[in-house]
Amino acid sequence: MTHATLAAPRRPRTAAPAPPGTRRRRRLFLTPYVFVAPFYVVFAAFGLYPLVFALQLSFTNWKGAGEARFVGLDNYTYLLTSEEFWSSLANSGVMWLLIVPVQIVGGLAVAVLLANARLRLRGMFRVAFIAPFVTPLVAMAQVWIVAFDKDYGLVNHLLHLVGLPDVDWLTSTAWAKPTLALLFLWKTTGFAIIVLLAGLQSVPGDVYEAAALDGASRLRQFWSLTLPLVRRSIAFLVVVQTLAVFQMFAEPFVVTKGGPYGSTTTGGLYLYNHITASDLGTGAANSFLLVLLVFALSLLSVRLLRSRDE
Amino acid sequence: MPSPSVPRRSLLRGALGAGALVAAGPLAGCAPGTTTSPPRKLSGTPSASAKGEITIWNRSGDLFKVFDKAIDAFRRAHPNVTVHHLAVDIDSKLANTLITGTDLPDGSFWDDAKIGSQAEHLYDLTDLIAPYRAQTSAYKLSVNTVDGRIYGVPWDLDPGLLWYREDLLQDAGVDPAGLKTYDDLLAAARSLKEKNPAARPIHMEKDPFLGQLWLEMLANQQGTSLADAQGKVRLDSAEYRRILTWIRSAVDDKLVTHAEYLKQADLAALENGQQALVPWAVWWSFAPQQLLKKTRGRWRATQLPAWTPGGARSGAMGGSSFIIPAKAKNPELAWMLYEFLCFKQPGYTAVYGPSSVYPDGLNTSVPSYTPARRPDKPLFEPVAALGGQNLWRTAVDAAAGIPAAAPIPAWWTKSVDYLGNNLQRLMEGSMRPDDVIDDSTRKIQRNLVDRA
Repeated sequence: MTHATLAAPRRPRTAAPAPPGTRRRRRLFLTPYVFVAPFYVVFAAFGLYPLVFALQLSFTNWKGAGEARFVGLDNYTYLLTSEEFWSSLANSGVMWLLIVPVQIVGGLAVAVLLANARLRLRGMFRVAFIAPFVTPLVAMAQVWIVAFDKDYGLVNHLLHLVGLPDVDWLTSTAWAKPTLALLFLWKTTGFAIIVLLAGLQSVPGDVYEAAALDGASRLRQFWSLTLPLVRRSIAFLVVVQTLAVFQMFAEPFVVTKGGPYGSTTTGGLYLYNHITASDLGTGAANSFLLVLLVFALSLLSVRLLRSRDE
Repeated sequence: MPSPSVPRRSLLRGALGAGALVAAGPLAGCAPGTTTSPPRKLSGTPSASAKGEITIWNRSGDLFKVFDKAIDAFRRAHPNVTVHHLAVDIDSKLANTLITGTDLPDGSFWDDAKIGSQAEHLYDLTDLIAPYRAQTSAYKLSVNTVDGRIYGVPWDLDPGLLWYREDLLQDAGVDPAGLKTYDDLLAAARSLKEKNPAARPIHMEKDPFLGQLWLEMLANQQGTSLADAQGKVRLDSAEYRRILTWIRSAVDDKLVTHAEYLKQADLAALENGQQALVPWAVWWSFAPQQLLKKTRGRWRATQLPAWTPGGARSGAMGGSSFIIPAKAKNPELAWMLYEFLCFKQPGYTAVYGPSSVYPDGLNTSVPSYTPARRPDKPLFEPVAALGGQNLWRTAVDAAAGIPAAAPIPAWWTKSVDYLGNNLQRLMEGSMRPDDVIDDSTRKIQRNLVDRA
């Protein structure tokens, strides 16, 4: 019986050394724990502890110094009745709509093209699409500030050349969000392409050969084979990008500072604003509300993308 | 083909975990419950032969170089004191360092607006400043005072002035000496617009933070500020209503260039004659000296108009002081340095007087200490970029009339999200003065005062 085999031998009454077989068994028993221990130590220190700490903090009014007073659900109540909190979520929601569907559709189109073995200069195109993903975001954000400046930006200059009027890209409430969404798309679509390309390349070629023999057109093959077979990659991307969009911080922080009039203050930036205002309790409560929301959205996305047979 | 196992639950668990960790991450490393000792009083002045080492933080850039020269003068006067003068990103580092209490400097330069919120981490300097109190700007003392105690050594005073294009005013038949009230300023702007229909003569600030700082200058001119000494919001007042109504009428009459402070659009409007009247702090002198190449020499400064006939002709816009952290290792020596810089003639002369960095002297502010700003003893030279105007005289006359204010509340910077933004809406013509007052007061009260 397995149970009997793994049972610890009786400890001898004397301090005589354990027989070599026992020591070996003990070593074998402990070895896997030794191997996984570093992960758990690091996780406990930098994952679990901050999580528990933040949860505790969310029920206090701690300002970063002095005594932390327990305030119960006050921080949560404050946020849930705050115009700014809902406005930040609405901003993130609009950003999500501007980014995720466009990125999935666009990324899939590019991935299908790049997966085609007959495409010339395929390597060059792959590098070109993935380059923004490995470029530092702050550098790209600075380029955005200059390129989309209302008075002296390159984009408005190009609009002028074709007779179109200036657009207030970064300082009008109507355009600031789309302009930031474009930056996010520019930066992260390379990642989406990598994921989708990997999904496409995992589809065996004989599936397409069989479909072709059955007379399926290219479009039919895409709808009936490609799309269902990369569905899991799409679901993964939706979840990951939903997380990224609701936590979006660096783009509005560098380019618009959350303005104009808070129109680009995302969930992540709003959270940061509490922390910099030393309102750490509210910041912590905000982070947990954000986690709940992102979790709910991720769950919804996966359920919507789940096939009937799963 | 066998389908791989569906890792959906794992994926969701991972997503939840990752979200929680990323969201909670910024909070790691803090520890609630750490207590701070009550503010400590610094009252003993070290003897002239005192010795030791101090670390002093300052901003980087030209100002650092100027202070470096001045600190050299201190080193010569106190050879036993070693001063480590460091250029630091004070805005991002000092507040955190004060809270954690580690790697603290013995003294630092800091914005007046930030001192009140960190008073519990600073030395109470009331007793040491007492001998100089009567001769220090009442405004500077008031913004450095929390619960009747002073926490900053008042350094620069930044009086508001009216900057104007002398040539354009002359062409329009406007006498700058006649700009005594803000109604006169509107009338002058209309005259300029009659002469040049493309003109939008009055500058209004498009950056919400600077816009609110500017509003506070206009309020200070009338002896008020956003919060009273008890931290109560006092935006709903005749003084603020007067300012906001004036702004709205200038906007309605299309007399306003709404641009960000010295950004390209602003510079272009200043150079091409679209803007000719800039009510702003003395530090705007930087523009004609460094940025306005075409109109250099055509700008002049005078005192601000008054809000009511005979009222104050200036208010303060910004400013900084020196603080000594409560956990500084050598606070007495830090005080000795700051006393030298602020209240001793060789100290303030070394900062404001001609130097290799500023050959004509530092003319972007004036000292807070009255004996240092005697009209007949200029510390900096007339400014060539202002047609040789004696800016010292104009600035110290304006500084003398700045009314006292109240401590700047800890939430002032955050209030820009409400008042600063609403002020922008007013300047764009999409909000009325009463709406600005009501909406800003309500939001500041709910989000900042009630949660302070």
